[in-house]
Amino acid sequence: MLNYMLRRLAFLPVVFAGLSLMIFSLQMTLTPLQRISAYVSNFSELKGGREQIDSLIKKYGLDDPFLTQYWNWVKGVFSGNLGWSETARGPVSEILLSLFPATAELVVLAFIPSFVLAVWLGTRSGANHNKIVDHIIRFFTILGWSFPTFVFGLIMLLIFYGFLDWLPPGRLSQWASTEVSSPDFVRYTGSNLIDAAMNWRWPIFFDSLRHLIAPVITLTYVNLANMTRVMRTSMLETLRQDYIRTARAKGLERRVIENKHARRNALLPVVTMAGMELAYMMGGVVITETIFDYHGLGQFAATAAANLDFPAVLGFALYFAVVLVVINLVVDLLYPLIDPRVILK
Amino acid sequence: MKRYISLMSGVALVALAGAVQAEIKNPDTLVYLRTSNITSLDPAYIGDTSSTYSSLNVYSRLLDNAGSNISEFVPSLSTAVPSLANGLIEELDGGAIRYTYPMRDGVFAHRVGIKGADSSITWHLYDDLSEADRAKIEPGYGQITAEDARYSLMRAILQGESWMANAVTEMITSGEYTNIEKWAAGLAGVEKFEDVDAAGLAAVHAALAEKIRVEGDNLIVTLDKSFPATLGIMALPFATSIIDMEWAIDQGSWPDTAATWVEHHKPKLEDNPLFEMENGSGPFLVENWNQAEEQIVLKRFEGYFRDNAPLERIVIRAVPEWTNRRLQLLAGDADVATTPPEFIEEMRTTDGIKVEDLEQVYGRSLFFGWPVVAEDNPAIGSGKLDGAGVPPDFFADIDVRKGFNNAQNYDVLMEQVQLGRTVQLRGPTVQGLMGYRPDSSIYSYDPAKAEEHFRAAFDGKLWDVGFEMTAYYSEGTTEAASALAVLQQSLARINPKFRMRIQALTRSSFREKSYGTSNPESPLSYMGWGPDYSDPGGPLGAASYYLASTGLVAGFSGDGYRKLMREEFDPLLAEAWALNDPALREPIYARLQEMSHEYATTQFMWEAVTANVTRDWVHGYVHNKVLYGAWNFYNISKHE
Repeated sequence: MLNYMLRRLAFLPVVFAGLSLMIFSLQMTLTPLQRISAYVSNFSELKGGREQIDSLIKKYGLDDPFLTQYWNWVKGVFSGNLGWSETARGPVSEILLSLFPATAELVVLAFIPSFVLAVWLGTRSGANHNKIVDHIIRFFTILGWSFPTFVFGLIMLLIFYGFLDWLPPGRLSQWASTEVSSPDFVRYTGSNLIDAAMNWRWPIFFDSLRHLIAPVITLTYVNLANMTRVMRTSMLETLRQDYIRTARAKGLERRVIENKHARRNALLPVVTMAGMELAYMMGGVVITETIFDYHGLGQFAATAAANLDFPAVLGFALYFAVVLVVINLVVDLLYPLIDPRVILK
Repeated sequence: MKRYISLMSGVALVALAGAVQAEIKNPDTLVYLRTSNITSLDPAYIGDTSSTYSSLNVYSRLLDNAGSNISEFVPSLSTAVPSLANGLIEELDGGAIRYTYPMRDGVFAHRVGIKGADSSITWHLYDDLSEADRAKIEPGYGQITAEDARYSLMRAILQGESWMANAVTEMITSGEYTNIEKWAAGLAGVEKFEDVDAAGLAAVHAALAEKIRVEGDNLIVTLDKSFPATLGIMALPFATSIIDMEWAIDQGSWPDTAATWVEHHKPKLEDNPLFEMENGSGPFLVENWNQAEEQIVLKRFEGYFRDNAPLERIVIRAVPEWTNRRLQLLAGDADVATTPPEFIEEMRTTDGIKVEDLEQVYGRSLFFGWPVVAEDNPAIGSGKLDGAGVPPDFFADIDVRKGFNNAQNYDVLMEQVQLGRTVQLRGPTVQGLMGYRPDSSIYSYDPAKAEEHFRAAFDGKLWDVGFEMTAYYSEGTTEAASALAVLQQSLARINPKFRMRIQALTRSSFREKSYGTSNPESPLSYMGWGPDYSDPGGPLGAASYYLASTGLVAGFSGDGYRKLMREEFDPLLAEAWALNDPALREPIYARLQEMSHEYATTQFMWEAVTANVTRDWVHGYVHNKVLYGAWNFYNISKHE
């Protein structure tokens, strides 16, 4: 297994090289004049006309040959410097590190309930094929699957903030934000929940939790729907297997058959899918973050891409490659635990 | 049962938290939601309005604008506004002008230096110090003096980074050089800045040091000749903001020596030590700037040299999504929110919301370019006057320009696009600027007159064969799409053979085709360019921007436009600029405004107007056009 892990991790540099070359090639299809967008935020900064623009192009080496630009970037990466993000006004690595806890906090809180609920609902739906329970769960999941995230998110925001004023957007209320920024509050992880708990500041903890509820519900529901459908299908297939029929013939309790024999075997495709969902979510949940004013990796990456902020886009791509490889590896390692017949080679 | 009770209590608590809503949330804090973040805290670096939200409030300048007046000034770090009457402006032999700024005594920056036992300086927040500690402040270390003012101006000029810092260079050289590189090259007698040797670099430093000097407690600025916009530039919240020299040097900024200035010239943002630090003497200090979360928090400076600001904190946060900004404003979590133009009227009728229209110092126009790029230019179709395109110099014909100007339906623009919030633009200068006259000539929608001009254009051929061309605008500008659509329909009504296509381009593509080049691809583009100070003359004034052959608009409008400006407008602009008496200058700028109509240089459409959308408990905003809507939070308060 260790060999397998090492082989998979050794694949990372190849992924990095391919990705970075591809993104670099894409950026080179734009003229230096277009790429200068990343360095100016609006028209008024370019009143110096062509002369000023040329000076900026020269300053940032945007008209250097492809290989020179690529080599400069690679050199930076090897020295731990992913470049400077003009969008976020900071070093890319620092920005990624500072936003990662926010996205991770949101994703973990949304992923765990969506996975657990999806497995449970999928099991119940599959086990009650074509009965009322199945119909209700299917309706619920189809609704969630067909709901665009931004619509569901906006509805949540309008009802629970606009109308009830229960679940505000952002990461913290103003008072909590001021306290968190004060020197008295020690930042351990960047996660508001964990840091508030570690600082023993429970009002901040609950305020952070209050701000997380709406985006977590939005993400949970949207992801839950997809995974539940896969779990249901897998469950239906498993329940038709001979060994299930044998178990029933032997007189095993229905609950035991469904929860112990069928569910475990039906889990494999759901775990695969859950891994993909998790990787996707860790890559940033752009719409959810934007709607709920939750500054995370997704919003950052989307803004960077829109502003042609290539150092940020490249840095984000590298981060995402790591996430994909690591999560896929974890999923692969989970297979033998779920199904001992699976052997990693 | 226990679990049930605990669950219900939790739900009740959350509900209560929402239901208990104060009349004014955060009474000592103003929360401002915007769409963009600031660029840098270094006033010498910035050139955009967003960044002035920090520089205007964090730093002080020698002078400030007098309330909403764009041409009057009040003392700030200087105890008096220089004038001929008070003797602080002196006309020297040879036409040189000397400005004296007497520095205010006892002004401290947000951070001050205290010498330790080992003679090293440690920096402390002034507000955190006791009276006893304040007595130990090392003289000059955080104490704002004339030396700090000299250093700040020289640093900004030598850094030469932003367009607004270069405005100070233009002022100091009386308009002769537009940036330090040209000044250095000019003095050294070489073509390029790269060819300036060490002696040349020292020479330009010496020349600058000669013009900005300290005499006792006064800052002396000497210009070779008149530059009427000088006081206006000194009051702008950009490169003339005063930083503490000792602190800046301690942070690794330019060490105030001739030999080192070039090392600190045009630094990349990440290499600029003052990028994310400040030590101003303004009414607020930067408590926290989180670039990743796009939020800056300003805290009241208790040691401010005037009375303290009413509000304790200002939070400026970028929230890109309008619905979110709107809901936070309605819930009272935000006090001000940047509002898209199409939602202004809705907000005006919303309870608890106050909408205040803000006139701007610029207008919105359609810019003609001629000649445009002839080869492979889809904007001009066939590139010939054959009904399937236009020639590259299409707009060189004055009848074409006048025809287009008479074909625009300005009434529709004012009533339906601008909803009656503004007035028609009369030329480069808007209301309040020198040279603006409310009765100057303007175009109106007149299809018959337009037809007359179009029939006269190209010896009648244009009317017979028609044309096809593309007008561009930057995507997301709904007003542009509307204005161009009105013109498009009018043209088609005048002559069905007149086909104008409208195309939205990404910001970068639009720049490439229009204002990013001296040889444009776009024959007709929607834009709005505003001056950087109230005086219409000078390199950055409204009249020069639009009507000088070396001006901003001429820079991207093609050789034909530049030739017209050179032949017809430059002499008058030079004549006005050489005069010191506003009474003599005003009629010249009024004439230039009139000439912009006669020559139909541009299709001037409307004076720009934006709006402040705030909770009705926000008071004290003073709008000064020349600040482009930037907020000075000093007078802002929150109360019912």
